[in-house]
Amino acid sequence: MVRPTRGYRVFQVVNGFVLAGVVVVTLFPFVNIVARSFSGEHEIRSGQVTLWPKGFNLTTYQNVMSDPLFWINYRNTVVYTVVATAISLVLTTCYAYVLSKHRLRGRALLVGVAVFTMFFNGGLIPNYVLVSSLELRNTLWAIVLPNAINVFNLLVMKAFFESLPTELEEAASVDGLGTYGILARIVLPLSKAVLATMLLFYAVQFWNSWFAGFLYMDRQELFPVTVYLRNLIAGATSGTDITASSETALQVAASIQAVTIVLTMLPIMLVYPFIQRYFVSGVMLGAVKG
Amino acid sequence: MVQLTRRHLLTAFGAAAVTTVAGCGDGEESTEGLDGKRAGAMDGFKAGDQFKATEPITFSIMMLSNQGYPYKADWPFFAELTKRTNVTLESTAVPGSDYNQKRSVMVSAGDAPMIIPKTYHPDEEAFIASGAVIPVSDYIDLMPHYKEKVARWNLQPNLDGFKAQDGKYYLLPGLHENTWQDYSLGVRTDVMEKLGLSQPQTWDDLTTVLREMKKAHPDLYPLSDRWSTPPQPGANNLLNILATSYGTHAGWGYRPAHWDAAAGKFVFSGAMDEYRQILQYLNTLVTEKLIDPESFTQTDDIARQKFANGKSFVISANAQTLVNELRKDIAKIPGAKVSKLILPTGPAGATLPGESRLENGIMISKKALESKNFVAMMQFIDWLWYSDGGLMFSKWGIEGQTYSGKVDDGSFTLDPGVKWGGLNPDAPKDLQVDYGFFNGVFAYGGSTAMLNSQFSEEEKTFQAEMNKREIRPVDPPAPLNDVEREQVTLWASALKDHVNQQTLRFILGQRPLSEWDAYVKELEGKNSTQYMDIQNKAYERYKKEHG
Repeated sequence: MVRPTRGYRVFQVVNGFVLAGVVVVTLFPFVNIVARSFSGEHEIRSGQVTLWPKGFNLTTYQNVMSDPLFWINYRNTVVYTVVATAISLVLTTCYAYVLSKHRLRGRALLVGVAVFTMFFNGGLIPNYVLVSSLELRNTLWAIVLPNAINVFNLLVMKAFFESLPTELEEAASVDGLGTYGILARIVLPLSKAVLATMLLFYAVQFWNSWFAGFLYMDRQELFPVTVYLRNLIAGATSGTDITASSETALQVAASIQAVTIVLTMLPIMLVYPFIQRYFVSGVMLGAVKG
Repeated sequence: MVQLTRRHLLTAFGAAAVTTVAGCGDGEESTEGLDGKRAGAMDGFKAGDQFKATEPITFSIMMLSNQGYPYKADWPFFAELTKRTNVTLESTAVPGSDYNQKRSVMVSAGDAPMIIPKTYHPDEEAFIASGAVIPVSDYIDLMPHYKEKVARWNLQPNLDGFKAQDGKYYLLPGLHENTWQDYSLGVRTDVMEKLGLSQPQTWDDLTTVLREMKKAHPDLYPLSDRWSTPPQPGANNLLNILATSYGTHAGWGYRPAHWDAAAGKFVFSGAMDEYRQILQYLNTLVTEKLIDPESFTQTDDIARQKFANGKSFVISANAQTLVNELRKDIAKIPGAKVSKLILPTGPAGATLPGESRLENGIMISKKALESKNFVAMMQFIDWLWYSDGGLMFSKWGIEGQTYSGKVDDGSFTLDPGVKWGGLNPDAPKDLQVDYGFFNGVFAYGGSTAMLNSQFSEEEKTFQAEMNKREIRPVDPPAPLNDVEREQVTLWASALKDHVNQQTLRFILGQRPLSEWDAYVKELEGKNSTQYMDIQNKAYERYKKEHG
């Protein structure tokens, strides 16, 4: 075994400290918001809560969780995220797989179509008119379809597929597998890392998204929970307008805000540990190989 | 391959262009006659009448969902409304946090509901050019209650200020009988009592009070303010109420143009001597360490924390924040009391600006004008938003169920089983959350008696004092045309940025006030003079064309 040099050990120590610092900075807001969610309103307002709850109570949790609208919106978010992620994953995989085949005619055009949308789009109002005239408004499809393919994710996946050795597919083809057979039985089983990553990317994206829900949904019981949350937090601070009657200038209790944030971020945070092992090998690893 | 890509690009551009064109509304002219639009309307509808459609009708409405009382379709408000008026409201629920954006998208896409409430002047101006909203001033003959209140409370000059260049206005604002000055400063009265200080009458008296507080507590800043959210200069309420007392515009109430009645022309607010006096006043407070310099940058939460921990004694407040925030915040300081200061007076004397007598209001989408129920809709709006009966209903609900008595003779009382604001805090049901009354979409404006019904005794005393003040006349109308508006918008933002920046620098002493003249020169370099020339030209033109 090679003994690490002195310089390397110094680096390791410094690195450890720097990364520990990053961990603290990253974790602090989470810990703080969790502490707030268990604290009394007065303690939060007077700035006493940092890492540990003061004036511990669970009534705020009871209050928030007893609001039926919160759960309706929560369920919507789960449904939207699951359906949208499934659709996105299927579409992105198919598109990326096709694009990874150099023998495909018109491949540059197909890449162009995708990349074009990265830089140009019709804008807010034309999009709204489009979704509206397709009668997708107030349906699940308004949220899951318009952003089904994320071009960045598509390109990452394409690069990953390109990095797979072509010999594998040729061998499968010799053994009698067709295009779909190769994709389903050879390529996809080898692509678990990138699929898991895409799953995470899409799930987080759809879980956090609020704008599509806000824009295309006209009824409260259709909103995702992010819209509920946003109204609770942003609505409270933007109401301070001189012409607004003073009731709108009131802030929603800080503890309620904290509880809602905690409940909203919890499930999506729990997804990470399950997918993390695929991250270790790394999605970009595939992108640079070969 | 290259060609293919180019062709593809063209197709894509073409498709985008088609979509964009489809997005713009058709420029059809509205027809004048209202025949065929009277379905469901009442014949001879006049002030004092209860509106009831002659057949069941449905109107679509944009419904702001307030974070404090989220919209519910099954609120008793809607059921009772249908019972009384035969009208069903079909709501598009929009979260209050982003109401303006959704409104803008829906109106621009030609997809807006018929009734678009909760719009603050001059937001409606953005929708005039496209023809998406109708000039409501053409149809006020259908609205007897509205007309009657405008005449009785002498609000026509205020409405004139809402007019576009065509001499029409596009927003039906909420009407107040009197100016409602809600915002002031909240002061720890127990500290004042302990120091033997009396209620300050003028801003200079307030300085004295702050000095005494500082003398007794040299380690803290007596005044630490809130409402400093950007992009305004900070301490936006403080600047605004100071501007009210000095007769100019600053903070929240900042407007570039100020009507100088004596000179008969508009002058640039940020260059007025009154504006300089405000800066001078605040600069003195900063120099003597009477006001926390962080007042202009800190978040509301921090400002409230300082007040809650007894590290400051004075903070901006309105009736609601006083009761629901400040009193709760200081509850743990023994003996601490806070109340709203009667707004101190300045060089403008015991007066208040008249502009705030118009509230946010309603736009009517063009789609509504095409409906056969248009007349009925205007009558319905007239009843619900402008008749005493309608206002009473949307505000306090159903007599004998949620309230009893009358507001005019002061016999009004909220039912003990219903809570609102600070009233009946332990009641099982909430007037807003559970019933849908006192909703900001419907309940605003009205007579002083109506307004007083929502106040605590303490606030009534405050308002009684405020109502003694004389109301200043409002600015004459000077609507700009599209070209002018575009031109001044360009100048206005650069000017506003400069005014805001320098305001803060002057106040904090980073720039000496002796450089005021240089500052005014800088504003002129940013076209403040040309701006006012255009404004004054528009004023002259309007005066000539519309009397």
